[in-house]
Amino acid sequence: MKKNEILEEILNEVDKHPEIMSRREALKYLSVSPMAASILAGATVGATTASASSAKGKIVIVGGGLAGMSTAARLNNTLSDADITVIEPDPLSVSYQPGQTLVGAGIWDVSDIQYKRDDYLPSGVKLIKGSVTAFDPENNSVTVDGSKEISYDHMVIATGLMLNYGAIKGLEGVITSSGKDNASVKQKVGKNGVHSIYFAEGATATWKGIEELVAKAKAHKGPKKLQAVFTHPNTPIKCGGAPKKIMYLTNARLEEAGVRDKVELTFYPNGGKMFGVPEYHEAILQQYKDRGFKWHYAHNLVEIDTDSKVATFNHHWKEKGEWDEDLEEYGIELKSELVEVPYDFIHITPPMKAPEVVANSAIGSSKGWVPVTKETLRHVKFDNVWCLGDVAAVPMGKTGGSARKQYAVLVDNMVASMEGKSLPSKYAGYTVCPLITSIGTVMLAEFNWTKKPTPSFPLDPTKERWIWWLLKVYALKPMTIHGMLSGRA
Amino acid sequence: MIKQISTIALATAAFIALTGCSGEKKATEVKTYKYSTTEVYEKSCSKCHGMNGEGNPLKKTPALNDRTAGEMAQDLYDIKNGGTNQSSGTDHDIMEHNMQKLVDKGYDYDINSMAEYMSKLSKK
Repeated sequence: MKKNEILEEILNEVDKHPEIMSRREALKYLSVSPMAASILAGATVGATTASASSAKGKIVIVGGGLAGMSTAARLNNTLSDADITVIEPDPLSVSYQPGQTLVGAGIWDVSDIQYKRDDYLPSGVKLIKGSVTAFDPENNSVTVDGSKEISYDHMVIATGLMLNYGAIKGLEGVITSSGKDNASVKQKVGKNGVHSIYFAEGATATWKGIEELVAKAKAHKGPKKLQAVFTHPNTPIKCGGAPKKIMYLTNARLEEAGVRDKVELTFYPNGGKMFGVPEYHEAILQQYKDRGFKWHYAHNLVEIDTDSKVATFNHHWKEKGEWDEDLEEYGIELKSELVEVPYDFIHITPPMKAPEVVANSAIGSSKGWVPVTKETLRHVKFDNVWCLGDVAAVPMGKTGGSARKQYAVLVDNMVASMEGKSLPSKYAGYTVCPLITSIGTVMLAEFNWTKKPTPSFPLDPTKERWIWWLLKVYALKPMTIHGMLSGRA
Repeated sequence: MIKQISTIALATAAFIALTGCSGEKKATEVKTYKYSTTEVYEKSCSKCHGMNGEGNPLKKTPALNDRTAGEMAQDLYDIKNGGTNQSSGTDHDIMEHNMQKLVDKGYDYDINSMAEYMSKLSKK
């Protein structure tokens, strides 16, 4: 894609919301900002194409979402004699999931994020439209749809993860973000004030839910405020910032309607902090205080009664235990209680887990996620198996931004391994969270396993800026869809 | 002129960072530890988890010799950092507390080196 085509696409997006930023303003920012120039460069220049290799072998990629399809494209670009098969059942697998927050807040339409698997299959790569139902890594084969056996020399696992709504009592269903088989979840989620942006249709419904909340707030009388509740579960989740982003955006919509004082917004995370990186934790706390948000740590949503509109949380804490002579300290005891919270609006971030077929096979682990050496992304037990994206047991790494770093590392290492060389590339845990803090501002939280901010730009990364809104809302999608899915950036 | 140079530098830095063509930044800090990995295990970990990492049902301490090094590294990372996600918390509340106390006493270690050591325990 040419630079001016991407620019035109960005400006077309900007045109849809002149109230946020006019085309003239956007052009001004884009022309004076070296960052914008670099974004365009990053999306257009094939600067990162790995050197060509004549290594041979049959490669099977299980899962054709963003991680799997980008890996297929990059391997296809790199190997002169590529034999690659992608196995993927979902026709909308490459949809742009980071946009679901924006759909939930009524800034984008669901059609803005839907992308078709078949349009992004790299030329020459074979596609099997089915699901892997069994892994047999000892014999280098997988089974598709219970019957067809496919063998491989090298395998990449990129199945993604499952949204486990059913783990919450009162809800049902274990689904993916764009799969059509989500009827069980939709029985209770997406109506009556119960919402979740984590699946695409749920995101569309969330915007209706926010509009309903605004209408309810406008009609609301009396001193008691309406209650808007936002949850964060006790499992690793994709896009760790989204539970907060939708809270910021709900806040923005309430402010815009002039009814913010009618609603109390409260965050209930299972963990005890806002962010693993202290600098970002402090910045978010300040943003919460500035907006009058409330928060209660160590609360995990375990049950919801959608008729009486009550959410039940497991609140847990530690108490001083008995003297431990081995530790030479007092130990701790874990305590917990159930807390009932009435809501008018609740945004649920579901618990997440690896697909059963992965978790229950030899390639999985006790926690389900595929165990890899986190720096090389090679499986800890099988040298010809590689894994990336949401299903990999990699700390912090379940975002499109980390997949963008991972797929380059994985392809470098996999090709070297096919050539019988030592592994040249290391992933350092880079993740990016463009934390939307209002309509028009974003804090670009970039970090890695050192748990220190690792900004790409020489600007204070704890500040909310319009330039990151431009990046998040207008530039990251073209970068992902045109740059990453073609295996180039 | 200075402004122009800084703009070019900024653009170059941003370009490199976003496209990732320079690879990851190298960590410049090198951490040193009071005890070697073996010493930490033998002086501290072994008291509760056993010399062979077999665990101790009486103390409700889990075995450590049932995982590959890669899997153990994930667990150690989770324990030392109080979880691996933004606000999800950790699966190891008790050990997170204990580990903090042990690190304060000087029993700190490199995660990959300790994971490697523990994965070989059962084979001794």
